Parts: sequence; C-alpha cells; structure tokens
Amino acid sequence: MKVNGTPVHGYDPGARLLDVLRDHLGLRGVKEGCGVGECGSCTVLLDGDPVCSCLVFAGQADGRDVVTAEGLGTADDLSPLQRQFVDHQALQCGYCIPGVVVSAAAHLAEADHVSEDSVREALSGNLCRCTGYSKLVAAVLAAADHRDSP
Amino acid sequence: MTWPATRPGAAVRSSAVGRSLPSEDSAAIVSGALEYVTDRQVDGMLHGAVHRSPHPHARIVDVDTSRAAAEPGVVAVLTASDVPFNRLGSDPHNPPVLAGDVVRQVGEAVALIAAVDFPTARRAAALVDVTYEPLPVVTGADADAPTSLHPGGNVAGTIAFESGDVEAALADSAVVVDVDTTTSAQEHVAIETPGGMAEWDLGKITVWCGSQNPGLHRRFIAQALQLPLDDVRLVSNPVGGAFGSRNDDPAPVYLALLAWSTKRPIHLHLSRTETIIAGPKRHPYRTRVRVGFDRSGSLRAIDSHAVADTGPYVTAGRNVLKTSAELSSGPYATANARFDGTVRYSNNANAGAFRGFGVPQVAFGLETAISAAAAELGLDPVDVRRRNLLRPGGRHSLYGHTVSRSLRALETLDAAAAHPWWHERDAWAAESTPGPWRRGTGIAMAMKGVGMGSGKGDTARARLIVSANGEVNIWAGPNHTGQAIATAYRQVAADTLAIDYDRIHVHVGDSELVPESGATAASRSMYAGGSAVQLVCRKLRAVLDESAVVEGSGVSFDDVAARLVATGRAEYDAEFVLPDVEDIGRIPADSLADYAPHAVYGCSTQVVRLEVNVYTGEVRLHGVVCAVDAGVAVNPGTTVGQAEGGVAQGIGFALFEEYRLDDGVPVTTSLENYLIPTAVDVPPIETILVSGHEETGPFGAKGMSEVVVVPTAPAIAAAIGTATGFWPRQLPMTPERLRAGLAALEAA
Repeated sequence: MKVNGTPVHGYDPGARLLDVLRDHLGLRGVKEGCGVGECGSCTVLLDGDPVCSCLVFAGQADGRDVVTAEGLGTADDLSPLQRQFVDHQALQCGYCIPGVVVSAAAHLAEADHVSEDSVREALSGNLCRCTGYSKLVAAVLAAADHRDSP
Repeated sequence: MTWPATRPGAAVRSSAVGRSLPSEDSAAIVSGALEYVTDRQVDGMLHGAVHRSPHPHARIVDVDTSRAAAEPGVVAVLTASDVPFNRLGSDPHNPPVLAGDVVRQVGEAVALIAAVDFPTARRAAALVDVTYEPLPVVTGADADAPTSLHPGGNVAGTIAFESGDVEAALADSAVVVDVDTTTSAQEHVAIETPGGMAEWDLGKITVWCGSQNPGLHRRFIAQALQLPLDDVRLVSNPVGGAFGSRNDDPAPVYLALLAWSTKRPIHLHLSRTETIIAGPKRHPYRTRVRVGFDRSGSLRAIDSHAVADTGPYVTAGRNVLKTSAELSSGPYATANARFDGTVRYSNNANAGAFRGFGVPQVAFGLETAISAAAAELGLDPVDVRRRNLLRPGGRHSLYGHTVSRSLRALETLDAAAAHPWWHERDAWAAESTPGPWRRGTGIAMAMKGVGMGSGKGDTARARLIVSANGEVNIWAGPNHTGQAIATAYRQVAADTLAIDYDRIHVHVGDSELVPESGATAASRSMYAGGSAVQLVCRKLRAVLDESAVVEGSGVSFDDVAARLVATGRAEYDAEFVLPDVEDIGRIPADSLADYAPHAVYGCSTQVVRLEVNVYTGEVRLHGVVCAVDAGVAVNPGTTVGQAEGGVAQGIGFALFEEYRLDDGVPVTTSLENYLIPTAVDVPPIETILVSGHEETGPFGAKGMSEVVVVPTAPAIAAAIGTATGFWPRQLPMTPERLRAGLAALEAA
C-alpha cells in the first residue's frame, strides 16, 4: 500500500491497519478511542473513502492509497481545511480532531454541494466530547466556501 | 505588542485579553503531530494490562498468578500484597489500589501485568485465576440493602441545613409543587482513554498520564509506593479530555507501580470498555423538591431532599453532595430553604467528579419544580424566575452568606429571554404541521460556584523566570485537559507585563516545575490560575517599572532581561488564595469548610426549541440559546467553545446517556450501547456572553465551564412539557420513557 504517498512494505497483513499506521509507521495522529468503529478517532482515507482503521486489516489495504491527517498537511504547512480548524478554534483537547479532519476532507472532496446538514452528516461518525461540534461544522463550511470561491 | 516601559498608574494597554487567539498546539493537533500521554513510547518499554473483577460484590478466596507469570514474555504480575500502601487516600473508605480481600464492583482492579508487548499482557491478565465467593449485592441507593459494604453501614455522608421555617412557609403557600426526579449515571467519555507511560530512573519515578490534579496523583503515588513526594514527578500534558474523570483516576498509580516493580519503562492504555466499566460516573440522584409560592409568584420556600449513589468507595461523593446542598436553592432568593441529602454506598459504578459536580442533579429537580409552579400559577416562566432571583451582593437562600457583586443571574435570564425563539415561541408552536410532531420551547437556568469554596484554603501558584535571551517562561496551574488554559494564562501575562506576546511561554501540567496549584476542576482554572499568573507578572512588571532597570534610550527587552539575570532579579513566585465569603451568614464559623460556600458564582440561562413525536417519543432539537456569564472572557472563542461543549454534554444527559447495570453487572459497556451526542444530534447552539466583571478575578474573569452543562436538561424537559403536556421527571428522557409518559397522559 501507499501511505501518504509513500509505498510501504513489511507489515503484517493480519494486523489492524490502525496498528500498522501507529506502531509500524509511527503515524500517531491516528488515534484509538474505542477499537470497535464507534468513535471515528482512527479515521483514515482508503482510496479516498473515510474508514475506521481499527476495523480494517492491513492486508485489505494492499495496493491501495491510505491517507492520514499527517498526509493532508503538516504543522508547518497546513492544508486550507486544517488552517480553518485552527482559525475557528475548532478543537479543544484535540484527540478526535485528526479523524475529524480526515472525514471532513473526504466530504469536501466528494460532495457537489456542501451544507450545514451535509457536514453534520459527514462528521456523524466522529465523536467529539469537548466542542459540541458547532465550531467543527463552521470550520468545514468555511473551507468549502474558500474552495468554491475563485 | 512592543515594549513600553509604562509608569506605575499608567493605563496598561490591553491587547491580548479579549482576543480569540488559537491555542499554541492547534497546528500540531490538526496535522496529527501532537503526541498525547498515551502516544508516548520509548525503546524497550513494557506494556501493562489489568485483571478486573467480574463480580459486583465478592470475597476473594484465592488469587493464583502462576499461569499468568509463566506466560512467555510476562515480566511482572502484581496483586494487593505487592502494593506497599494499598489505598488511594487516607480514609479507610477510599478504594484500594488493588482489591485484596473483597471486590465491590465489576471492573475493580485485582492484578496488574507487565509484559514485553500488549497482546501478551492482555493474555496474561486473563490467566490470573481468582477464586471468588459471591456476596449479596447492593443494587442502589434506594434499595433496602441486603448487606453493609463497609463496617459503618452504607451511608457515606449526609448534609442537612435549613434556613427559616420551611414547613410553615409551605403550609401557607398558595401553590406548592412537589416533584420527584431521578437522574442517571453519566459516563465522561473523554476520547483519550486513561493511561500513559512511566519510567523509574535513579530512584525517582516519572509518570506521563492524564490528570486533572497532578498534586493529588503525586501524593497517591508517593503514598502507594511509600516514596518521598519529591521522588515522584507527574506530567499531565497533552491530555485528550477529562470532564472530571481524571480527578482521581487510578491509572497513574498502576503505571507507577509497574515501573517501580519492574524498573523498566511501562506503557498502559486502557480500553474503552474497561474505562466505561471501571471509570467514575456522574452520581445518579433521586431528588425530591417542593417549592411554595404565593399567588403573585413570590417564592416562599424551597425544600430539597437528595439521595446519591456513590458506588463502593469514598472518592468525591461527599463533596459532590456538599455542592448539591449549596446549589439546591439555585439562583433564587427565598427566606425559607432546606436541604437534606445522603450519599450512599452500592455495588454499582463508582461515582466521582463530573462537570457540574452535583449541581445538574438537584437543578433538574428545582428547575422542573419552578417551571411546573409557573404553569400552575398561570405566570410566565421567565417572570416567575426574574422576580425571585438572588441579586448581586445579596445573601444566599440556604446559608445566608454574601455572594459576589459580579453575579449576573438576571442578565443571563434577560439575555436568553430576549432571543426571538423565546418571545416568538407561541407563534412557532402554532405553526406545527398536522402529524405527530409537536413543537415546544423551554427555558431553565442555573448557577455554580467558582473554586473549592470558603474555608478550603484553595490556592493556585505561578512561577516566572526571565531568561538572559529575553524570553519569559511561566509555569502555572491548574493544567490543560482541553481548555486551552495555557493560552489564556499567556494572554493574562501579556497584558500584565505589557511585553511582546511572542516572548511569553506558559507551561502547565508538570509537577516538577509547576508549583502546587490544585485541580483543573470546580470552574477554577481561569479564575485561580489566571490570578496567580497575573500576580507573578505584576511582580516582574513592578521591577520593570523601576527606572534603574530600563534606563538608557532605546533599551530593548533583551538588554533588560540580561540585566535582570545579572542582578538576580529574574525569578518570581506568586500565589493566589481564593477569597472566602465576606460574611458566612448562618454557617457556624468552626465548620465553614464543611459547607464551603462560594462568593463567586457563574450563571447560565438556556432556551431550547424542539419538536416531539407523540407517536414514537422521539425528540428533534432545533437549537439551544446559551446565555452565560464568564465575567470578562479572556479568550471569547475558547469561552464559547466551552459553552457549546457543555450544552452538548447537557443534551446527552437529558436525552440518552445512561450507564445501566443489572444487579450490579454493567449493561452499557461500549459506545455501541452507551450513546453520546454526534454532530447530527447536537443542533446549532447560539452562545451569548453576558457582560460582567469579577473584581477578584484576572482582568475581571471568572469560571463558567461547568454551569453551562446544568440548564440544558431542565430546559429540554420544559420544552417537552410545553409541547406535549407531559412533564418528564426522569433522565434521560428516552423515547421509551416519553412514550410511556404520553400514554399515561392519554389514559388519564
């Protein structure tokens, strides 16, 4: 598989994708919050689709593209979407945020029309206990506006 | 900011306080680069796991660790006899670190494993053979207990107080409303589960873990291991949420024990299920409230009786009940008030601190009673509240102590009630389309004290060092578990010092460096920690204002810093002791700390607009207006974020969060059946920061992060009552309960 654009090899195909990303590749922005696909903290893109990496075997990602929050942008070079999260103060403890940003990125890439309802639906698989979601939604909507304006 | 050498008395330019500055770690968070305490790893570290009781109450007949210890890769198996001092605290009713003779709840820790990798540790934990002899189970605080969980019986604490003559006032009230309410055990669900890493090095132990109270955890660890306090270092940063769950979490002690025993670095990260089963909960309460009014709507009396279930041990329960007592009269003024409360042991979940700390439970009863009384009197629910509010500088209804002039109960009520959703509520309800959905709007309010309360010596401290290269480092507490408190401290520091924001660096959460500052709890961080930061910065500022330090034209702060270091004037400490109430009212002077009344209170009023499906009992929230009084908001964006997050937790508490047990055995053990609000469950939230100023707080700030949780559930209940005629008394208001209530109403 390719992770954030870089081919990777030598992982156990029977391991959880989450563990390969965190322990084998050191991508610790992929968080484990429940291990059963309920909280969305481990969300990554698999060929562009958001998935809970705790529910995916590494072998299922063979030959496919995996993107994590680290692959969207780095702290020194944030993506426009990540920048909106910072500017909107759309985070508190931040533990869920890498997964939220990945789900939001997938939504912005896929949706023809982005609305408050569509963003809430797109983020409904990512539990956040701190923010009440309002600022997360505002950040994604701002990123959509920014994307859609010339 | 530039570097103005202001003269004493000159107005200091305020340019950081009041701005919505993002926290310093934001870019690292959104790019996945921030390493939390459970992300920490070093080469050669071991992995921990916990063996837990499957029984709610049982005698431990035998613990056989031989199979676990024989598992290849297992380095240590620890049981109660391996713990030098096996208790978390000094009270005999505090929990043991590891259960030795008896287990008193499902999930109680019995043994700890250290192994070369996590799968081995987990496998070995399952191989610990414990022989149990089941004992009768105490299934609730109301139940006739079949047995005593502790030698003194099942009462963990009581508190009773009365002002005036409640019975007489109720007897001659024109309207008396009597409500009997219950609220559920709520789970915190901080998204990072407990754990972290520990290292033993040269006789000292360092634990990286989530903690809302590094000083307390340090004492727990030093006591358990019988080490000098100075040989224990606790680092609690960065941490993925808390909400009360990390106040007395035992995981840091497990980490320390394993590192101390193996002399190797150890990593532990509890699963979601063991966090839900073994972790603390909001105390479930049964609260009966009677309120009496005269015909004109003047409040004659409040009578509140509460029974709380604290689970098997004493942790925060007595203090939670104390807070319930103080806030049982809410933001209201009446000459006659009584509280009678009991906190009892059971074999249910251990209950501890949770945002709001005993207030949401009694406030649900009180606000429900006030709303019902307004309906019975035929008066507007806002008018009834407005005419009975506690005033700034007034006297508390139950204890008679004086409250701060910064109280903004009236302003939060007026701000929420001025929202179109409130005054257009009847028109909106009338627009209901035919079909099962009924529209309703509700309002409720609350107040909550800031800090630990009078008589507690509640103190926060800060340390400041100017480096020779012109940087100002400040170590302060309480620490950060998601509130961006270090950013707010930095804003306070920048405006107090009037130097460049970029030169100021604030550090929190490390017990080695931050002077003891108490808990990130009780809505105290901004108020107490911010005040300590302000005081330490004033000390430096006073030196900067001495002309000898800054003399010469064009002097830069780099030069000044070098002079301060060279002359031994670069280091400062300060402490802020939270002020006690000016007048203790009816509280006996020698027992002030037993009641711990507050001078400073934050207030919130909320309006909820919703629809109820009368066929299914479903609730569709349209929005919440949250008016809140933070004094001066040091970082308005962060303050609004706290309000929005608090409302979301209030929505969960109101509508679906309920940790359930069946004869002491947990039923809701994962996020598949313990549900918290998602982005589609939480409606738009409109936060109104009511303008205020607390003169004893930094730049006028006070705490607000707890009070915002409180009004949501009673406001939702009032909206449901208005929409359907069924006024819920039991939380959460699930579709099943609403449907049952509506069916009973139809049958009547």
